[in-house]
Amino acid sequence: MAERGFEISRLPGFATIAIAAFVILYLPIVTLVIFSFNDSNSVAVWGGFSLHWYADAWANDDVKAATMRSLIIGVSAAVLSTTLATLAALGTTRRKAFKGQTFIYVMINQPLMVPEIVTAVALLIFFGIIKVATGYQGLGYLIAAHTAFCIPFAYLPIRARLESMDLSLETAAADLYASPWATFRRVTLPLLAPGIMAGAMLAFVISLDDVVITEFVKSGGQDTLPTYMLGQLRRAFTPEVNAISTMLLGVTVVMLTAFFLLTRKKD
Amino acid sequence: MRYLLSATAMMLASATLAAAEGQLQLYNWGNYTSPELLEKFEKETGIKVTVTDYDSNDVALAKVEAGGSGFDLVVPSANYVPIWIEKGLIVELDNSKLANKGNIAPEWQDVAWDPGRKFTIPWQWGSTGIAVNTKIYGGDINTSAVFLEVPPELVGKINVVPEMNDIVSLATMYVGGEPCSEDAEVMKKARDLLLAAKPNWLSMDYGATERLSNGDWAASVNWNGSTMRVRLNTNGDVQYGYPKEGYPLFMDSVALLKDATNVEEAYKFLDFIMLPENAALISNFARYANGISGSEAFMDAEMTGAPEVMIPEEHKANGVFLPTCTGKSLDYISAIWTELQK
Repeated sequence: MAERGFEISRLPGFATIAIAAFVILYLPIVTLVIFSFNDSNSVAVWGGFSLHWYADAWANDDVKAATMRSLIIGVSAAVLSTTLATLAALGTTRRKAFKGQTFIYVMINQPLMVPEIVTAVALLIFFGIIKVATGYQGLGYLIAAHTAFCIPFAYLPIRARLESMDLSLETAAADLYASPWATFRRVTLPLLAPGIMAGAMLAFVISLDDVVITEFVKSGGQDTLPTYMLGQLRRAFTPEVNAISTMLLGVTVVMLTAFFLLTRKKD
Repeated sequence: MRYLLSATAMMLASATLAAAEGQLQLYNWGNYTSPELLEKFEKETGIKVTVTDYDSNDVALAKVEAGGSGFDLVVPSANYVPIWIEKGLIVELDNSKLANKGNIAPEWQDVAWDPGRKFTIPWQWGSTGIAVNTKIYGGDINTSAVFLEVPPELVGKINVVPEMNDIVSLATMYVGGEPCSEDAEVMKKARDLLLAAKPNWLSMDYGATERLSNGDWAASVNWNGSTMRVRLNTNGDVQYGYPKEGYPLFMDSVALLKDATNVEEAYKFLDFIMLPENAALISNFARYANGISGSEAFMDAEMTGAPEVMIPEEHKANGVFLPTCTGKSLDYISAIWTELQK
């Protein structure tokens, strides 16, 4: 029988470690979801099944306003960052290798490397100056900040897609006298669409989950869903927070599933 | 990036500015502001209050210090008030605009961290004491000895909340020192006492409301508001003790920011919350006392006369506002805490 070579799943203890890792990852989340259906007002002692925390969260005006705000910021940041990321991805892949290419990659992906708190404090000071100078307090600051840190998350899947796309179709279009714009519009963009969609969804989820930068940048009355939940720390948590978390988790799972379906390799 | 900024700024230029007529921006701890209070205020004055949450004194301070925050009122904790004053971020209040200032209870008219109450108006306050199930332990509960020299009935049944400043300060005061003491002798005594007591503790954990209520713990160092709920849950079995050697007090107070734009509205709000019936709304929502005389009459029945909310006369003198420990005292406290966590 031929040697089958190295395969990680045949190492001793593989199954045990894999199962343990999954349990550690998912058990706390399962617990959180279970307690969102708790009838009592404790996040730790079970008091029977009930949906009333979902009803409470639904009826809570602060939660509704924070959710709307999160969605507005998330959609705006996803659209803006994906547009910029698409341009950046085209600019860094659909051309000959150039000097300083690696440097540009690092620049674009800076938000992935720099600790979030550093960005947050920097934005706090920078926007503070602008707020004093202009008196403008609107959502623009949050959208600009979210757009900035969402760019690498949108950029990476788009660039990956571009790199796996064969140049020959675009070359063929050019050979048939398609203008550069027509080539882009009719050939590149349709082929790139799954990557763009995946990038946009990832950017949206990242924006939806952000706490640190939002906490520092937000102006008066601009709590998003995560900062609203963090604010509940001052007093005892109730399962209402579990209910909100579960709904947020649901949205994230749906988005990530869509991301997965759009980016999976077609064999 | 600059184009992006200006583009989004233009897009949203129609958004309302913070300094609009009849508005007020309150920057407060999350889940701490009664919605009923804000509704009533808007109904009476036409001023709409926007509340923004924070979760720590440091975040609030950093944001306001950066400038352009757009907030009018902020609610710092007692030990942070001197920092806000020192940095010039909050202004001295104009008492001529605060007709109800006399409603502040006598013991809160003059406090160490804001002498003469020139800068702040009380919001809510509470204390850290000891909750004991009196069915299990019948001795004196108004002493830190309950957790520092654990009585036999409570050995292995008492919890200590893992709050460094509260716990080390309780021990320091028990051995006769001041909180934030820089006296090595005193701190060593406190350390030895804590380390000797620890084997008799069941745990160092949060969640006292549930675990005292369901009987998992027979006693715990705990906060007053939580202990009141436990007492109601256990039909009075669990009682709240105020250590006579000294116990920590905390108070959050409202202050007017220097760069506030809605100043007149802010004064109206400050005066409004000093009326007993309005202060009671704050307490009914967050379950802490508020520092306004006569507000008790308007509180929910379960809070009226609760010994956890209103400190009984004989224990009043022993409450201490913990200062912000710095330098050598902070080093001692951190070292003791690290050793205690091992």
